[in-house]
Amino acid sequence: MLNFRQWIHRFPDRQKAAVTAAVESASIAKVRHALRLLEELNAEQRGPALEVELLSTYNLEPILPILQLAISCLPSRAHVRLAPLDNIEGHIAQAGSAPMRGHPNARMIMWRLEELLPEALYPLSHGFPERLATRLDQLLERVERVVSLHQRNASGVPLFLSTIPLPVHFSNPVFAAQHSVGMFASVARVNQKVYEVACHNNGVHVLDVASWAAFEGRGQADVVLEFLARQPLSPKGQVAFALFVARSLRLLITPRRKVLALDLDNTLWGGVVGEDGVDNLKLGHDFPGNVYLRIQRELLELRHSGVLLVLLSKNNEGDVREAFASLADMVLKWEDFAVRRIDWNHKHENLRAAAGELGLGLDSFVFLDDSDYEREQIRQLMPEVLILNESSDPLHILRSLWETDAFDSLSVSEEDRQRHHDYAVRQSRDVKAHRNDLEEFLKSLEMTATIEEVGPRNLERVITMLGKTNQFNVTTRRHSRAQVQAMLECPSSVALALRLRDKFGDQGIVAVLLAVASNDPAALVVDSFLVSCRALGRGVENVLWAALLRRVHRQRVRRLEAEYVATSKNSVVSDLYDRLGLQRIEHNSSLTRYLMEPVVPAEDPPWITSENGTNER
Amino acid sequence: MSDKDRLLDLLIEFFSLPPNTLPKDISQNALPAWDSLTMVQLISELQATFSIDFDLDEIQRLRSYDEIRTALANKGIFLQETTGSA
Repeated sequence: MLNFRQWIHRFPDRQKAAVTAAVESASIAKVRHALRLLEELNAEQRGPALEVELLSTYNLEPILPILQLAISCLPSRAHVRLAPLDNIEGHIAQAGSAPMRGHPNARMIMWRLEELLPEALYPLSHGFPERLATRLDQLLERVERVVSLHQRNASGVPLFLSTIPLPVHFSNPVFAAQHSVGMFASVARVNQKVYEVACHNNGVHVLDVASWAAFEGRGQADVVLEFLARQPLSPKGQVAFALFVARSLRLLITPRRKVLALDLDNTLWGGVVGEDGVDNLKLGHDFPGNVYLRIQRELLELRHSGVLLVLLSKNNEGDVREAFASLADMVLKWEDFAVRRIDWNHKHENLRAAAGELGLGLDSFVFLDDSDYEREQIRQLMPEVLILNESSDPLHILRSLWETDAFDSLSVSEEDRQRHHDYAVRQSRDVKAHRNDLEEFLKSLEMTATIEEVGPRNLERVITMLGKTNQFNVTTRRHSRAQVQAMLECPSSVALALRLRDKFGDQGIVAVLLAVASNDPAALVVDSFLVSCRALGRGVENVLWAALLRRVHRQRVRRLEAEYVATSKNSVVSDLYDRLGLQRIEHNSSLTRYLMEPVVPAEDPPWITSENGTNER
Repeated sequence: MSDKDRLLDLLIEFFSLPPNTLPKDISQNALPAWDSLTMVQLISELQATFSIDFDLDEIQRLRSYDEIRTALANKGIFLQETTGSA
């Protein structure tokens, strides 16, 4: 359903709702209604024409509207036509010779053991094993003949040849498994032949109905409809089958996505390298590091299939390089990424820059990130980019990699396998700032910041943040609980925490600011100022700073002093106080001192609503 | 208890009938569109809508609104018109 939702995401709401209702209910009446609504769309909305011819040994006529709808959702102007039932060779021969008859864009052959070799369901009544073995050999030859007939008569029309599913309705499965011409082995040998002929014939592909049916389970079958009409599928099975068929055809009209732009922390490993340190990252053979290991393996496989990987990470490049170099279980290497953008810029800016570097449009991109914020930013600012995942859970990320059809391919060429090497990193182009778009996006997050006094209610979290935060941390002073409490006891000090809520929920305390008395009674010194890495880029520091200025203004403080103490991790705030309008009074490689005198109040950013917590003094 | 007859609504939608069609006018004899292909689709529709499976002898007695209503009642699905207090 994830893929289906992505196919139809550009349909107008009315069509989207009707199509979704049809697919969820498996109701033919709703399917017909949705098809009528799709006809109201213009040619561009409906997508390219796609004529599909189905040849089948079982009766697909009752589910034709569902097939038609699923293929229309790709989207395409689908026209599905059924050849006469169980007349595969006859139809191919006749269709090929009929003059002026338009060839379809795709032909699909769907068959099963029940019609191809019904004796295999009752082997002991039909000369098991010798005579059955002969019949099986004849069937294998028939598979080859059908394909050559198609290649002679309709060369150039892509052929999707189905594998045969294991029968659902039969007795004695134990015996069916015991012999090389037993029923299970017969199915396996027919399917092996299907894989082989597809492999040896250009333009012939496998429609793996056998794997589909195994994956769906018995729920896809319906014995009543089978006996009534030789239509084997239950209502839910009909929908699932139609979506499966549509997905197989999708590559004929929709190009594969070429690039996966992905996040690093909590995506390729568990944890945040700049905060937790390389030694504490989760990646390896034990739970939960094994989930991240598996994510990396899937990504490496994608890269070998011709998908370019782009790394977009808000980090210090040095930390990331160190992790890549020293983590023993890294499956992905530094060089596996065609482009790496590791800095503190907005991700949409870096993604646009990567597209420029690679010379590819945004509609070639897929985006993977554990952060709701980052995904929402890309969704709003770059609607052409496909967002792969819908939640931050690593298992969900892994599932989206398993289930997505964005990187489907019928074959992988030598060119695909080499593509990564052809994209030598080019000169980075100027990143256009899209300030207005960004502000609109930030507004849409509906952020509310609550300024709280540091006190018993939030002290735990404040001490944790002081102890852990490495990146947005201007002085990196690791105060103990006793030290913080001593500060709080001094009446002139100001200790504020900022709690952030947005449309995704309560993000908790994400910023802390501690200011203490100086020798000058009319002055305060900013001791600590830090923001959690998950709230970077949203402007919460400006809100907290403005709250401090309001407070010290009321306390008749005339002079604020502050300093930036450089560490290997906190370059993101090396010019924070410059941006906030303070004056530099001293600067060397490890320390910059700032001054604000007199204290001038500042405005909150327009996209955050700021309010005072109940315990603000 | 819903005031609406779900089966009547379903059949009207399924056969694209005028909204004021009466149950007695819905039968295989009265509706030319109700052929054997439509019958298969209708059974699938009833199975999907009411989450039921039919037995084989029931399948052969689903030729009108009344017959379908009886079959559903035998499955424990009571529509508004057959019972006032289900």
